[in-house]
Amino acid sequence: MAEPTADATAAHGAESRRDFLRILAMAGGAVGTVTVIWPLIDALNPDAASTARARPIVTISDIAPDSVKTVQWVGLPVLIRRLTDKQLADEAAVAVSSLPDPASVASRVAPGNPHFVVVFGQNTGTPCELEGSNPGDSQGDYGGWVCPCDGSQYDVLGRVRVGPAHRNLVIPRFSFINPDQIQLG
Amino acid sequence: MQMEAKQAGLTCLCAGWTRKDRAPGAPWAATLPVLLAALVLVLLASGAVLAVYYDPRHAFWSVQGIMRGVQGGWLMLGYHRVGAGLVFALLGLHLFRTLLVRGYRGAGAMSWMLWVTLLAVLLLTGWLGFVLQGGAGGHWALLNATRAAVMMSGFPGTVAMWFFGGPAGGDTLARLLVLHAVLALGAAGLICMASRAAKRAKPVPNGQVVAFWPVYASQYFAALAGLALVFSLLLGFAPHWGQGMQSVFAPTPLLVAVPVSYPWYLWPLARLAGLLPGVGGQVLAVMVLFVLLYALPWLDRSNGAPPRRLYKVLIWLLGLDILVLGVAGPMLAALCSAWVFFHFLVLTPLVTAMEAA
Amino acid sequence: MMRRFFAPLLAVGVLASGAARAEDTLSPLHFQSQGWSGTIDKAAAQRGFAVYEGVCASCHSLHGLHYRDLEGLGLTPAQVAGIAANVRLANGQPATLNSRFKTPGAISMGGATPPDLSNIVAQRPGGTRYVYDFLTGFGPPPAGVSLLPGHFYNAVFPGGQVSMPAVLRDNAVTYADGAKASTAQEAADVAEFLTWASDPNLSARHAVGLRAVLFFAFLTIVALLVKRRIWREEG
Repeated sequence: MAEPTADATAAHGAESRRDFLRILAMAGGAVGTVTVIWPLIDALNPDAASTARARPIVTISDIAPDSVKTVQWVGLPVLIRRLTDKQLADEAAVAVSSLPDPASVASRVAPGNPHFVVVFGQNTGTPCELEGSNPGDSQGDYGGWVCPCDGSQYDVLGRVRVGPAHRNLVIPRFSFINPDQIQLG
Repeated sequence: MQMEAKQAGLTCLCAGWTRKDRAPGAPWAATLPVLLAALVLVLLASGAVLAVYYDPRHAFWSVQGIMRGVQGGWLMLGYHRVGAGLVFALLGLHLFRTLLVRGYRGAGAMSWMLWVTLLAVLLLTGWLGFVLQGGAGGHWALLNATRAAVMMSGFPGTVAMWFFGGPAGGDTLARLLVLHAVLALGAAGLICMASRAAKRAKPVPNGQVVAFWPVYASQYFAALAGLALVFSLLLGFAPHWGQGMQSVFAPTPLLVAVPVSYPWYLWPLARLAGLLPGVGGQVLAVMVLFVLLYALPWLDRSNGAPPRRLYKVLIWLLGLDILVLGVAGPMLAALCSAWVFFHFLVLTPLVTAMEAA
Repeated sequence: MMRRFFAPLLAVGVLASGAARAEDTLSPLHFQSQGWSGTIDKAAAQRGFAVYEGVCASCHSLHGLHYRDLEGLGLTPAQVAGIAANVRLANGQPATLNSRFKTPGAISMGGATPPDLSNIVAQRPGGTRYVYDFLTGFGPPPAGVSLLPGHFYNAVFPGGQVSMPAVLRDNAVTYADGAKASTAQEAADVAEFLTWASDPNLSARHAVGLRAVLFFAFLTIVALLVKRRIWREEG
């Protein structure tokens, strides 16, 4: 586009200077166009309100020891359990290799905040919502959750103990904002 | 002989500085349609982004949310606000120039009428944009308009109801949002049609074919760069200039916006409409104005020759009059509005007839 | 002066570091946010937020803002979450980052409703200075002025009588950065905070604007040179 036209017979110096200016102008125009258009595209990123809906903040300071808070997120129940020190010690004593889906305590809780277990409340075998979160529910032999559909049992860390399910409960992506609040997603 | 040669050499050397050669090119005013098209593109693009987040049922707070919560949302609002203002500024300049060179006669009549239509469409779009912001001023303007619409009877009432659908509220704004977008698309189409009509009206003189690329393109490019410079100055340092403070107040029943402070590009029209009393009178004043603008090619009794001095002075006076009209108090505004009608109805036929004689 | 001039260029750096430094803004009185190259003084605005939260918030809402927006003042999410957690919302729950600023219960001061402060600076001519002048404009009424019941004298308020009492006094709040909480300092800080609340993108706007103006000024000159040459050679 910036090539000199065939009939241009001006002196060589003037020619190259003109070409330089032309290239500069075109490059500048391209840069300018892109910088004007880019914010239009950037503004299509989710706004703060959508992000807030997609990544809800849950207050966990009000969960009593050994009780569960259930929140709905992306259409699935998320179970948040506060563990007691005794529960943590008991679970740490279980030999990992004896489990159907071996996972250590450290891999089931967030580093620095070991007293909170956050899992999706959906059985990994038959897709069913788990029981054991509400005070009157059966919690199975391991004090955690039970699937009412196929009878699978999970411990307080959400590790599967009794089949037919053979995988641990899925841990959603989350992070601690401070010791009192977590943010999902 | 030698002297002459020397002079010729000198002329060559100073060619860049002689008056004729200083700014070779087409008139800068000829780039206005392209600049208008670029601005309308910016408005359409930023408007599309704004529409993603805009909520007609919570108009004011959704605009606030765009300003505060959308990535670069303030920039989108800025594009839209500054772009809207500049569209009116440039269209005003273009119409003024067409008047000044009598470009509306003969073959130019078609494109003149399209430009006038564009003015009407843009004014309506601008008013809708002001109302859609949902501030106290816009809310009050909509309240007045819908109240009048609901009370109107017969055919005008039916037409008004097509527009508003009922009393002011979120549903009305949802409707007006669509209208705003459709009118904006229409404006883009009108610019294309008007430019095309203008080109057809003024064929290139025989033999003098100047390539679009790179000759005209370079001039358009320079004009666009200058426009971008003005745009960024306004966007960065005066984004709310001429917008009126009423648009940053949330509408509450306690807050009565009287008079409504419109954005600056609606000032002349709002005052001109106020010349006649009542809503009917306002609509009538605006309609008469546009009928006169459409009829201008026939109100002009000249033979189409370039205008003479008196006519040019009158056009300058008209331009000045409209600027003053924008900021005038009630008395002066009435005078200035009357002058607009006087100019088109009396002065134009008279002076142009004198020119033809 | 130099710092003032280069402030927009440094804005990005300031945003990144979020540094809070105490600086004398009272003698003479000046607001860093003012002027064509103004930027929000984050340290002052953070102090101003403390004043808002400690004093203003009991009557005035700030409906346009969420607690997460405070991150724009250079606070970390954990700090803001801590601030929000101390606020009990109307439903009894502690506020989170994503909560709107708490709306105080309906209050009527002698028939007047305290206005929302989200856009107060944009709603008044010379808004930043107006807020400062208003907050420091209370005093005994001059001779010959009799106040309406439930009204207070304020030299700046139109009409001189306002339903709001003088609420700022020395040490009404304790500043985290150790600045001395005089009445004037509190008024100046809350004015800067409300300037930010009305126009949270002020710093970015000035920085972007300056860069865009410089770039397009350069491009315009180049484009004019190119156009001139092309028209002379080919036109």
